[in-house]
Amino acid sequence: MTIRDFLMEDHRHCDDLFAAAEQSANAGDLAAAGAAFGQFRDAVFRHFAGEEQTLFPAFEARTGMSMGPTQVMRMEHGQMRELIDAAVDALQDGNSEEFFGQAETLLIMMQQHNMKEENVLYPMCDQQLADSSGLLVERLQAELKGA
Amino acid sequence: MQPKQALLSFDQSPPLSAPLRFFLTAPLFLVLAGLLVAVEGEALFASRWTPAALAATHLLTIGFMLQVMLGALIQILPVLAGANLARPALIAAIVHPGLSLGTLALAVGFLAGSTAWLYGAGLLLAISLLVFIAAAGWAIFRVPSTSPAIRGLKLSLLALAIAGGSGLFMLLALAGGWAVPLPALANLHAGWGLAGWSGILLAAVAYVVVPMFQLTPGYPARPAWWFPVAVVLALVLWSISVLLDADGLARGAQGLLALSGVAFVLQTLKLQSGRRRARADCTFRYWQGGLYASLAALLMLLLDAFLPALSTAPAWPLLFGVLILVGGFLAFIIGMLYKIIPFLLWFNLQHQAAVPGKPVPSMNKLLDDGEMQRQMRTFFAAFALLTAAVFQPDRLALPAGMIFALAGGWLGWNLLQAALRHRRHRLAGTS
Repeated sequence: MTIRDFLMEDHRHCDDLFAAAEQSANAGDLAAAGAAFGQFRDAVFRHFAGEEQTLFPAFEARTGMSMGPTQVMRMEHGQMRELIDAAVDALQDGNSEEFFGQAETLLIMMQQHNMKEENVLYPMCDQQLADSSGLLVERLQAELKGA
Repeated sequence: MQPKQALLSFDQSPPLSAPLRFFLTAPLFLVLAGLLVAVEGEALFASRWTPAALAATHLLTIGFMLQVMLGALIQILPVLAGANLARPALIAAIVHPGLSLGTLALAVGFLAGSTAWLYGAGLLLAISLLVFIAAAGWAIFRVPSTSPAIRGLKLSLLALAIAGGSGLFMLLALAGGWAVPLPALANLHAGWGLAGWSGILLAAVAYVVVPMFQLTPGYPARPAWWFPVAVVLALVLWSISVLLDADGLARGAQGLLALSGVAFVLQTLKLQSGRRRARADCTFRYWQGGLYASLAALLMLLLDAFLPALSTAPAWPLLFGVLILVGGFLAFIIGMLYKIIPFLLWFNLQHQAAVPGKPVPSMNKLLDDGEMQRQMRTFFAAFALLTAAVFQPDRLALPAGMIFALAGGWLGWNLLQAALRHRRHRLAGTS
């Protein structure tokens, strides 16, 4: 399995959790939405951590590009963390309109970010790290499984 | 600063003003087209060849559609295809005024029957298209076609070159009084422009945005790879049939084109029915309207391939035009503008947030869903009226044109308000 295939699959998994949370919120069940969004948050943060602690350092070490694409991705991770926290706050306050606003912004942010990773960065990783990609995928698999 | 340079080499986000200027001026052309329908009313609906009909068509296709498409491509080529457009700000600075003024000159040239205006329009549009096609082509043709979207982008750009070239040729023929079969050429020009450029580009973008933003399953790979090729093949066969005067081939090509389009529309409707977003937002509703209107237009095209007598009725091509242009492409494009613009504005604020802890307003605070919904209802009312006006132009052209102008103006107003809110937040954030 390539790095791209594996992490793309995890993107889709995060999408599923996002959709479940949004649907609960739309049905008016904010408790269920809070639980589902909590799962989404955990999955996304594990994904970010896996990239930031395992994949990006490997890419940076191999290419010597520490201020390149990985830096942009880290910055966008930070922006998404803020949006996710704001959405969590909105759900806790019972403000579903605010939640939908944050969720909409988050979804577009997340998808354009995924697009850049899937179309540009992951293929670069697979190319640059071809000799160690099997090992990297195994490590990422272990990290993304979570607790 | 060294890091910033490195960031840009990957991110390649053009300055906000590069795409935004196209988006903010495009709705003005909808207003002009609407007013033209209201004023010229009966004359415009008498035939697709009347000066008013030609002017209105190009206000919609170049003034609105092409403007938004080129502005959007400047923004999304790097993200969609990893194709970095060199000097996006410069390209926008040339193409935007060239396209806007060129379209106005073309409309005046048609309406006044003035060769000077037509030549002026030809010059401006030729420069704009050459610059854009050269820059975008240089970026995209160096990227390998690793996805159906990238293949679609490449083929659509070729089709744009053919549509633009044939348009310029006809413009010169018209202004210079050359003896060329204009009606047959005009059909080809419309085919390359609407199916080849706009249709393939729409599909290429849909392959990416429909699954991502509406959380639907992905497009099946094989049809997605083949759709752009089938459309180009149909257009090539159709062009050959015109050269050879081969009627059977022309009908077969038209049938292939219509069936390819129908397959894409049905596939998209099917995917959308499986979407997992909780709410039907404005973009989704615009797309639904666009898909059904396009389906109706494509069925007309299919029917016409087998029963060519139908299209000899003057109302036939006009009805087709209203369905495919207003109900179809305009609806798709406005629906996407309502997603792209709030996001770009938000993204820009986010990057400029100089004061830590100062929250950036979310997208729906920049452009409220209620405002978009009201504009959308007006737009679809205008579409319904325009459709009816094809059959009763004497009574309905005036209200149809006025409501359409209102819907266009409202779109412009909504987008401008969003840009102004962005500006206020930006100024507040940096002070």
